[in-house]
Amino acid sequence: MSSQGILYVGLDLGTSRTSIASSNGQRATVLSYVGYPKDVVSRKLLQRDVLFGQEAVDKRLSLELYRPLAQGVIQADGPAAAQNLRAARDLIVEIVRRAKPQPGELVYAVIGAPAQATLQNKQAILEAASGCVDSVMLCSEPFAVAYGLEMLDDVLVIDIGAGTTDLCRMRGTMPEESDQITNTFAGDWIDERLAQEIRAFAPRAQFSKEMIKAIKERYSNVARNAPMVVVDLPVEGKPMPFDLTDPIRKACIGIVQPIVEGLAQLIATFDPEFQPRLKQRVLLAGGGSQIKGLDRAIEDAMRERLGEGRVQLVEEPLYAGAAGALKLAEEMPPEFWEKLK
Amino acid sequence: MTPFQDTRPRDPGRGLFSPRETEQLMRVEFERSQRHGLPLVCLLLGIDRLGTLQDLYGREAREEILAASLGALRRITREHDLLCALSDDRIVALFPQSAPEIGAQLARKLLEAARDMRFEREGRSLRISFSIGVAHNRHKDATSFDTLVAVAEEGLAVADAAGGDRFVETELYQLVEQQRRARELAAQRAPVPAPAAPAAPAAPAGPPSRAPKLGDTLLDVLAAMGVRVDDPNSLDRDSLQRLLFRLQDERAPVVPGDLVAERRKNDVLERRIAKLVEKLGVTESELKRIAQLKNVDLGIASIYRDVQGLGGDAAQAERKREMMKEIFTANFQMKREIEQRGRKA
Repeated sequence: MSSQGILYVGLDLGTSRTSIASSNGQRATVLSYVGYPKDVVSRKLLQRDVLFGQEAVDKRLSLELYRPLAQGVIQADGPAAAQNLRAARDLIVEIVRRAKPQPGELVYAVIGAPAQATLQNKQAILEAASGCVDSVMLCSEPFAVAYGLEMLDDVLVIDIGAGTTDLCRMRGTMPEESDQITNTFAGDWIDERLAQEIRAFAPRAQFSKEMIKAIKERYSNVARNAPMVVVDLPVEGKPMPFDLTDPIRKACIGIVQPIVEGLAQLIATFDPEFQPRLKQRVLLAGGGSQIKGLDRAIEDAMRERLGEGRVQLVEEPLYAGAAGALKLAEEMPPEFWEKLK
Repeated sequence: MTPFQDTRPRDPGRGLFSPRETEQLMRVEFERSQRHGLPLVCLLLGIDRLGTLQDLYGREAREEILAASLGALRRITREHDLLCALSDDRIVALFPQSAPEIGAQLARKLLEAARDMRFEREGRSLRISFSIGVAHNRHKDATSFDTLVAVAEEGLAVADAAGGDRFVETELYQLVEQQRRARELAAQRAPVPAPAAPAAPAAPAGPPSRAPKLGDTLLDVLAAMGVRVDDPNSLDRDSLQRLLFRLQDERAPVVPGDLVAERRKNDVLERRIAKLVEKLGVTESELKRIAQLKNVDLGIASIYRDVQGLGGDAAQAERKREMMKEIFTANFQMKREIEQRGRKA
């Protein structure tokens, strides 16, 4: 009989946001940015060795800023590989700290990874996490979402993150590679596309990546009757109003077709008898699911491409993955956790 | 105040009766339907973002859109249906001898018609959509024409607040009818308006009488709301009742807009509470069971495994165990590979 307590945590390690849900009821989310002071002066000014999330973004001029998870996996290649790994490790330490484990409590974590992350990617995540939790497992992100909602049979999960959009077919068993499709038509792609659209629409307007992201997060809408979006952007230093309704819609609607193509691929290779049921059980999750009208747009495209379709939005886009991972962690037999220590 | 309170004459451009004339026709039609027990449907239609489109593309564009919308309505109406454009650009349509489900069908047709409309302005293609409130007289509380129109107005407000391009059929007949009756009661109790106020009488001899402070405040509030009280001593129960009715009336229109957002929040919270209550029940029974045992790990994990559906009686337990085994195996292999790589390095 163990005298130590165990804290189970579910982590959704995303390109844009990292969220945690834990068995003590704590929940936290942080932007996936990690910043280290550039020099001694910055260090003295900030009085910290590392900053996270929005605070890091706000003080980025004094920091070496890292976004360690691009396309949902740790960037373990290239010249900044070591720094990315360190940033990812620090990010996991920070998010686990926000779950408030008690001193001496064991922390067992399930981390959601993109559906088609490579073995190398997964190993990088495991390595980053193993230093700050006592036992860790990875599972596919869309699987975690479906598991959290107890939807294990004949469900198609769309998990739209910043780096990737994961599609996963649930058929009552663990999804295999052929059940999962990952594409990069996700939040970052929309940001880039929106920037292009604005450049074409208003060539003199000045903006940064952060501004584009903020505009997208506030106004994204693919509904045909979307309300008008007028945003002030600087032109030679003077703020000027621009009607960005069409550029925003064009940028956001761009992810619909690749998603529906992926869904069609997963549906077409499914048992024909259950295909109609599958089309009626499409679950839309992830930060991208907050784009207004996206569920209807996907339904419309499904009807056109596949004859029918019904899309259901998850209640809590930010925490659906983390909550599912937590559920998985709690239900995992203790002996499995012991063996992975 | 009914939406028809507009005394404009017949609008030759739109070919319709004035709102007042149409209201009378509609009231007659409603009474006739009630008398003979015939079904009747009322649609109240608003064009989404019409004000914004006018600001952007001018009054001509607005008129063109309005005319096209009326045209769409005319195409689905019969000779004896009644149609009325209100002063605030909303359109009321009354469909006698139409069953309640016809209202939804007509609303769908109108929404589709709006989707097919195209307007060109300054090289840009404009699309429009409608918000529609639907009401019918088959509800037991739809006993007056005013109630019917008010319910359709509620539906329109809800459809508009939800983003437009939809129709909404609310079931607020009882509430609206209660409010209408309360208004009628208040109107009956209201005193006959007095002629112009006479000059203030000279102050009586002796020490001036001072009204209590609360009374002064009430008088100010009543005056601001247009209720005249010449003598503070006449501030009786009836006056206060009238004030309360007026406050209720003024608050009523604010409700529908906020109602949708609040209802959504409430729905989510209620679902969450229901789930938590269910889990709490299971937790409590599990705690009771564990408390009766001896030498058992009382850790959170053991409780949560049952609470979260992995108890021995859970229907999917076996399948979940298989899945977990697969997840564990994959992770175990990865861990071994990492360790081997570490040893080689």
